[in-house]
Amino acid sequence: MLGLIGFMTRRNLIVMFLCTELMFQGVIVNLVAFGRYHGDLAGQAFTLFVLVIAAAEAALALGLIVLLFRRKHTLDADSWRELKG
Amino acid sequence: MIPWHLVFNSLAQATTAAAFAAPLLVPAVILVLCVIAGCGTLLALPSRKEAPWTTIGVVLVLAAGLILVALLVRNTGGAFSAVGGRGCGMGFYFWVFCSIAISAAFRVITHPRPIYSALYFVLTVLAAAGLLILLWAEFVAVALVVIYAGAILVTYVFVIMLAQQAPATPGSDREDCDRFSREPALACAIGFVMGGIFLFVIFDKMPVEFPRHADAPQAGVAVAAPGVRELGQYLFSPEQLINVELAGVILTLAMVGAIIIARRRVAGGTIVEDEPPAGLEPSPASLADNPHDIPVYGDSGKGVGSFFPGPKPQR
Repeated sequence: MLGLIGFMTRRNLIVMFLCTELMFQGVIVNLVAFGRYHGDLAGQAFTLFVLVIAAAEAALALGLIVLLFRRKHTLDADSWRELKG
Repeated sequence: MIPWHLVFNSLAQATTAAAFAAPLLVPAVILVLCVIAGCGTLLALPSRKEAPWTTIGVVLVLAAGLILVALLVRNTGGAFSAVGGRGCGMGFYFWVFCSIAISAAFRVITHPRPIYSALYFVLTVLAAAGLLILLWAEFVAVALVVIYAGAILVTYVFVIMLAQQAPATPGSDREDCDRFSREPALACAIGFVMGGIFLFVIFDKMPVEFPRHADAPQAGVAVAAPGVRELGQYLFSPEQLINVELAGVILTLAMVGAIIIARRRVAGGTIVEDEPPAGLEPSPASLADNPHDIPVYGDSGKGVGSFFPGPKPQR
């Protein structure tokens, strides 16, 4: 939840993706707790897959950040406001 | 968001033990607490405000959190011992890890400098791993620390280091985009409305909505604490094996994709717009396997037609 607020609020691209990872943390803890509550191992197993997806998404997001930074030389998300080609 | 499911876990037991029918936290209390915390977060986000307002914001959030904790403590009648077999309960370590996690997450989103956000995120990851260990999920906890704090955060720190830029306005020590938040009031309102709804569902509907899986978790140690071996057997059983393989494929895809996205084509550090893709001379930054035959998107503004210089692209 705090990750959601941070994602919508901060303008620095890197901090925005950091807040996405924050949301992943909440999801992970939730998944494991629910799996534990129902006595099912699927919670932990699915958590590992969520970790995999989070790592893949972080790698690709950082690659995109580097690319965007090379175009505009700023990390400001608002610099990409216009839909000009 | 993080600790509430653990709260209702143990509170479900306390419910049947104490057999009270009143909701744990009346919705009005939840609403007031969410409003207070929302205003506090709003004040604490980076903006034009002076230092005292930020401190007031932090104090407000702390106050809301402490009031919530105190209400929970009082209404559950002090049922805090870690229940045997479940292992988590509302024991002391639960509160420690929760407070660390929430305060570190709060600092992630409110600190003006991105490197401090990354460091506080490491702290959040460690606190979440602690919560997971309390839940008897040791493998996931260690995997979390290794993958997140060890790999992803290190990559973040590198990118922050490489993507430094000069402050826009003279006299300020940070980037302009870090000084002002973007629609903080709306974001805080939305976030805390969602949090309030979650809290409401958990605390108001709890005795009705969550049927106790009555004795299964308490039946024995073997059921209550599945270890790493059982997790491994579960993951590599015939139904779940394909998921593991797909995860490996996804990781490979991500690795290849990240390498292709972020490659440079121009030697040195400057990007010149509309420069024709120079695929003929090897640049110091090129890879050893002649990457210039593979078209790179996004480095020149010329469109798709200019992507194939002299050498033919290798298929």
